[in-house]
Amino acid sequence: MSWPLFLLIAAPVIAGLGSLLVQQRRAIEVLQCALAGTMLATAALVAGQVIAVGEVFVGDFLQADALSAWLDLILGFVGSSGTLYAVGYVGEEMDRGHLSLRRYSQFLCLFDLYLATMLLAVNLDNIAILWIAIEGSTLTAALLIGFDRSKAALEAGWKFIIVGSVGIVLGLFGTILVYYSSEHILGVSNEALRWSQLYRVAAELDPAAIKAAFIFALIGYGTKAGVAPMHTWLPDAHAEAPTPVSAMLSANMLTIAVYAILRFKAITDRSVGPEFAGKLMIGLALLSLAVSAIYILVQRDYKRLFAYSSIEHIGIALLGFGIGGIGVFAGAWHLMNHALAKSTAFYGAGLVFLRYNHKSIDRVTGLLGQMPVAGAAILVAGIALAGMPPFGLFTSEVLIVAGSYTVRPELAYVFLALLALAFVTLLYQVLRMVLGAPGEVGTSLGSQCRIFTSAAVGINIVALGIIGLYVPPGLETMLASIVKTFGAGIMAAR
Amino acid sequence: MLQTITLVVAQIIVLLGISPFLVGLIRKVKARLQCRRGAGIFQPYADLAKLFRKQPVVSSTTSWIFTATPYILFASTLSAGLLVPTFASLTPLSFTGGVIALVYLLALGTFFLILAGLDAGSAFGGMGSSREALVASLTEPAMILSIFAVAMTAGSTNLSTIVHKTALLESVVTDPAPHLMALAALCIVAIAETGRVPVDNPATHLELTMIHEAMVLEYSGRYLALIEWAAAMKLVVFLSLIANLFAPWGIATTLTPAAIGIGLVAYLLKIAGLAVLIGILESMIAKLRLFRVTELLGAAFILALLGVVFFYILRG
Amino acid sequence: MALSSIDIGSQLVNLSSALLLIACFAIVTLRRLSSCINVYILQSVFLAMTAALVAFFTDIHHIYISALLTIVIKAVAIPLILKKVIERSDVNRDLEMNVNVPSGLLICGALVILAFFITQPIIPLGFLLTRDSLAIALAIVLIGFFIMIARKKALTQVIGFLVMENGLFLGATAAAYGMPLIVELGIFFDLLVGAFIIGIYTHQLQDTLDNVDTSKLTTVKE
Repeated sequence: MSWPLFLLIAAPVIAGLGSLLVQQRRAIEVLQCALAGTMLATAALVAGQVIAVGEVFVGDFLQADALSAWLDLILGFVGSSGTLYAVGYVGEEMDRGHLSLRRYSQFLCLFDLYLATMLLAVNLDNIAILWIAIEGSTLTAALLIGFDRSKAALEAGWKFIIVGSVGIVLGLFGTILVYYSSEHILGVSNEALRWSQLYRVAAELDPAAIKAAFIFALIGYGTKAGVAPMHTWLPDAHAEAPTPVSAMLSANMLTIAVYAILRFKAITDRSVGPEFAGKLMIGLALLSLAVSAIYILVQRDYKRLFAYSSIEHIGIALLGFGIGGIGVFAGAWHLMNHALAKSTAFYGAGLVFLRYNHKSIDRVTGLLGQMPVAGAAILVAGIALAGMPPFGLFTSEVLIVAGSYTVRPELAYVFLALLALAFVTLLYQVLRMVLGAPGEVGTSLGSQCRIFTSAAVGINIVALGIIGLYVPPGLETMLASIVKTFGAGIMAAR
Repeated sequence: MLQTITLVVAQIIVLLGISPFLVGLIRKVKARLQCRRGAGIFQPYADLAKLFRKQPVVSSTTSWIFTATPYILFASTLSAGLLVPTFASLTPLSFTGGVIALVYLLALGTFFLILAGLDAGSAFGGMGSSREALVASLTEPAMILSIFAVAMTAGSTNLSTIVHKTALLESVVTDPAPHLMALAALCIVAIAETGRVPVDNPATHLELTMIHEAMVLEYSGRYLALIEWAAAMKLVVFLSLIANLFAPWGIATTLTPAAIGIGLVAYLLKIAGLAVLIGILESMIAKLRLFRVTELLGAAFILALLGVVFFYILRG
Repeated sequence: MALSSIDIGSQLVNLSSALLLIACFAIVTLRRLSSCINVYILQSVFLAMTAALVAFFTDIHHIYISALLTIVIKAVAIPLILKKVIERSDVNRDLEMNVNVPSGLLICGALVILAFFITQPIIPLGFLLTRDSLAIALAIVLIGFFIMIARKKALTQVIGFLVMENGLFLGATAAAYGMPLIVELGIFFDLLVGAFIIGIYTHQLQDTLDNVDTSKLTTVKE
């Protein structure tokens, strides 16, 4: 019975419900800070336990292996800085009179529940309940995206919920197909849905059913991950949602969707061989990279810019996982760094929006001078996301290039070309915003907001810096374990 | 030989005798649902008798087609009726043809009726004929395909063979999916071909809504009687098809008197039941606008096509 | 085809699955939203019937509970929510289509054939129930997806989504003997909350935009 794991999931639920019931700003702020701290601590503890023991359980319901713990770290860390940021952000909105106290507490409650469902999703052994949790996170996210009830937000939220639901239904169909094929062997019961069992008997599962199941799962969960061509909901949702939500969407939600795809990939690789899943994933990844590279070029809205950057980076991670072997190491590392960097980028973007009340890149200049915190956030995040050293994204991208070269040299060339394109365009847009002389004055932010948001940004930047320069040994053990389980891939097969 | 002749005569008597009763039954059901008493169930017999006594009036601008059509229509519909199993699964003339003969005999009658509608040169007639041509051209493929879907289970297009084989199989419905599709398609086709709501309203004489009625507007006397009777027999033919292809229980598979007796009773019950259902359906839904009729018939075609496809896929 | 291989259980399940498929076609052809919802209710009843048949022939009793839940949630609760939304937004006029009805039906026919080809290589589970139910389930999912993209009003997208869920449930029940009860409960709960949220959204869309025509949802672009 792993108490940290239990707490990791229970804490956001408690904090969320608490925020809804207690309608007092001070109390809510304290509650959310406590939550942030708890999530950080418990995520680290779970990781520690998994490094020591391999797998941890909470009763028969929750289970965390190396990959789950890795994602717990990502979700826990970004979730805690996100919570701090959210408190600052909506606090400022409330101070300006855009939100009532009731709506403020509702927002934070939904936000915490959103984090809770995502944390639940990555700590399950049962692939059907994984689906239920991801669907639950979709529903809470839908309410969060349309929160300010403007025309654009409702439209974005509607697209999100429709496209997301369609995707997720296809994902469920894939799950059912897996269940269908495993019933022969594992019996008609919950056992046939347990991932660990499926992994064990994967070689005996019907290849045709598993192939079909993987295709459905890839399309379904790929929709949730923003993989092209199912990415159409992503830019709108990110741009129109309140910024804390955009940050969580990019950093956390896309990541858990990739997690789900990985789970299915592991079973597929052991059932039909690694070429099938690997090739599909590489294909879709390249498509995502191409689409995002083109659109980043023409963006005028900075939140949409970061949204397309998310599509690009998820594509890179998917490419790594598709290649296998060292690509899995790189992909997992990439997911963690991307989550940190992207949330930082959005934190900065949110501060800019609060100040100037528009999302146009052209009108934003000289951030470093006028809003140092936001400017630093966007600058650091921009450099990291563009793939420059000394940040971790550089390491992972290099490793994936090396891996893809081993698979096929042409693949590496195409990948490098797309990376270069995205590098140039993203960096150009970011530097435009951050450097130069300050432009408009805008409304300055309240001190409370500044404290919370700076804390969030600070935590993220520090973490990004540390893991960029140095891989802590604990993390390395976890990554090794992940590669062992999920490392089958085209590269590994050669 | 004697047996064949007896069967032929018996089937003719059944067809001729049952058809006005069915029409009367449908009208009675509709009347009751409209909260009025309506005419008696046997009123159509009286109507036919009256029409036969009256002197027909024929427009001077018509040709031989106008006067020949009622006889052609009557004869073709009756022959088509003889191809369809009614109370016994072995029809007397089954050796002469199967589904295709059935469809084209009915089409022959329709064709002449369309020509007759044009013959008198009135606007209503031409309009009715063009609409009827539209409906007929769309129902024909659907009808053939839906009967094919059932024929493939039995391995023959001969209707009596199909019914015989289906009746002998003890299971509920042998291949449910193709049969269900075919049934749905055939029901829609039956409604379209016999001119029932929602395709055509048999009780109206409004220009906007007539199809069949528009074509026969010029007829009177014995010609009208023959046409009405032929229309009633077409209804019986379709109802018999639906009843016996998809629910052939009770039909006489051997020609013993007992079996024939049971078969007759079962048959009467089945088509009376179907007639009541038609009456209820007509009272429930409104007539469709003409361009929507094409959508409905397109749907029937797709269903029938799927029935055939299902059969192949489920076997393969 | 030998008589002895025809199993009455699988036949009845096939029959009710085929009824579900016909209901799908009906939804594609209907033009008024309230008629679509009525056919959806009918389809959910058929679905519950199928589930009950599966439960009866396989002796897996928790599927009865799923059948009951299907009726309560899909045939009663969700249609009620949707009908309330319709009352408020007055979208009952003719539904505009992106694809006209005959072409739509042809596409649905093609989707059915596609579904059969996809599921053909999958080895059947063997004993009682056939893999045809899985094929029909996939066909219903694909047709539901088509309904979502072939119509313009926001609410018909919801109907399409619900039809997809019905197809899924058919697949899970008839082909895979029903998922474990807790999974079914979770899925139903999600579905109910989802319908509720969509109701909220349509209500707010109505208030803000004064119509729920998705072809007009084009502000956010590129």
